[in-house]
Amino acid sequence: MVACSVGEQHFLKGGIAQELRTDGRKRLTYRHTYVETGVIPQANGSARVRIGGTDVIASVKAEIGRPSSLQPDKGKVAVFIDCSPTAEPTFGGRGGEELSSELALALQRCLLGGKSGAGAGINLSSLLIKEGRVCWDLYIDGLVISSDGNLLDALSAAIKAALTNTALPKVQVSAEVADDEQPEIDISDEEYQQFDTSSVPIIVTLTKVGEHYIVDATEEEESQMSLAVSISVNRAGHICGLTKRGGSGLDQSVILDMISVAKHVSETLMNKLDSKISAAEACEDES
Amino acid sequence: MMMRKIQLPFTQTQKVRYERAIERLQSLSSTVNSDASVIVTDTIPVNHEDAFLKGHGTSEVDGELLATVCGVVERVDKLVYVRTLRARYKPEVGDIVVGRVIEVAQKRWRVELNFTQDGVLMLSSMNMPDGSQRRRTSVDELNMRNIFVEHDVVCAEVRSIQHDGSLQLHARSQKYGKLEKGQLLKVDPYLVKRSKHHFHYIESLGIDLIIGCNGFIWVGEHVEVRDPVMMIDGQKDDEMISSSSSTKEQSHTPLETRQNICRIGNAIRVLSNLGFTVTVQVITETVNLSNSKNVDIHEMLCSEFHVLVAENEAERRREKRKK
Repeated sequence: MVACSVGEQHFLKGGIAQELRTDGRKRLTYRHTYVETGVIPQANGSARVRIGGTDVIASVKAEIGRPSSLQPDKGKVAVFIDCSPTAEPTFGGRGGEELSSELALALQRCLLGGKSGAGAGINLSSLLIKEGRVCWDLYIDGLVISSDGNLLDALSAAIKAALTNTALPKVQVSAEVADDEQPEIDISDEEYQQFDTSSVPIIVTLTKVGEHYIVDATEEEESQMSLAVSISVNRAGHICGLTKRGGSGLDQSVILDMISVAKHVSETLMNKLDSKISAAEACEDES
Repeated sequence: MMMRKIQLPFTQTQKVRYERAIERLQSLSSTVNSDASVIVTDTIPVNHEDAFLKGHGTSEVDGELLATVCGVVERVDKLVYVRTLRARYKPEVGDIVVGRVIEVAQKRWRVELNFTQDGVLMLSSMNMPDGSQRRRTSVDELNMRNIFVEHDVVCAEVRSIQHDGSLQLHARSQKYGKLEKGQLLKVDPYLVKRSKHHFHYIESLGIDLIIGCNGFIWVGEHVEVRDPVMMIDGQKDDEMISSSSSTKEQSHTPLETRQNICRIGNAIRVLSNLGFTVTVQVITETVNLSNSKNVDIHEMLCSEFHVLVAENEAERRREKRKK
């Protein structure tokens, strides 16, 4: 938790009111964002995203699993977030658990849609190998290395980049098998198939500080926030999820206003992120 | 000479330009001390015939003296030690520091200074707000929160370092005290060199800049140092109160001043990223560079401007050497 004196608080809020934040940004400008992919060789896909002082890593690990009996035609995805004590000493021990589970839940909602699997950012059917028998289990792990606010946006961007980086090996399933037996599978070492991430949403968090709301709040700004609304938007401009933090209430018209602003912001952010991801992928191929 | 790896994504041309600038900086830096910088497990050359004393950051392994930390080898008579870079602040008496109050305790404030312990500012080593000189009473002690509360940013001077390593501060002048209307930046303490002046009033921009020796840098709106004699005058005292209440209402810093504060703040961030010494000359030069190149305040943090600053610094040092 960052400390902020009364004088600094006034300065910070005044800056937001005047459209000039402490690092020279406007209210709806993101900090400089850097993307690196393929940072963890053991994972099927991984990415590291830095937004200003916030630094996160996401990795995707795929395992062969069995679809649940309720949804035999879909694969499974699980999201876990870990807040490293290097980011903040209070994250040590069990201190970061609350934040970790809150972030994981928000991401799960935004990426996986409802219980029925409707509205999912990740196409779960594409993870199926043989109906009711074999499917891919994706384990998405996020790690917060250094925290300077806006963790949710950074994590969603990292997950999108990691999924783009993910290559799943081609799997051959032996055709004839008895009903109650697990079929034999053959995982190819050479043939890989890229994961389709065009529909994976990104999250834009609007943080209300004083009278105005801003995107990409730093930790100092977050310490002064009254509430924050995280809106996940996909490439088509559709809202995939919405979560709100913070105690104070919001007027209905303000929420609608925020959604349209988030949509607008996400468009430029998505384009920037896509070009950065493809540049990072090209860079990785070179080295 | 070592240069820490910069964590910025450069394009190919930017990378080449940056490396060339750093190379030029290295060739310009004095060659006397160039072999003195060590990393962990480097051998420190010593004359084994002469007696020498192992200091901090050194260890003898198989008859060889090795460095256990990264830094610069220093030799004082027989003592050989490694002065670490990127460590916490090492105070010296008389240093001007900027810190943050973290606790109001009995007769003292505890101040965070990026030192191994918290600094201690005694109530008795503060000037009274009204400028009078007397013993502090228990009433004064109860009113300590009228002076500083938790989280306040304060500026003070190092008075003494106790035998147990704790740090005493004092603020016996009008120029010390609470800092408001601005932002606090933190850089590595080794980037700040001790000099005659740590308080700077940049008149053309209307900015106060306080470069604390502990690496905390305050950039804020300029405030006139109030003369304590004026405060004794009753009539003027009332005026002061009325004016201070009116300034509280219009707490908004003028936009132009704010732009200058942000620009200076970002200049310091860039210099700290590059690992360049932070002095007022370099800061103003960086600000001027950004103005002349028409770089937007936020764009100062992108890689292109970092390269520009590195090239500019190489050029500046070359010119300085020529003279």
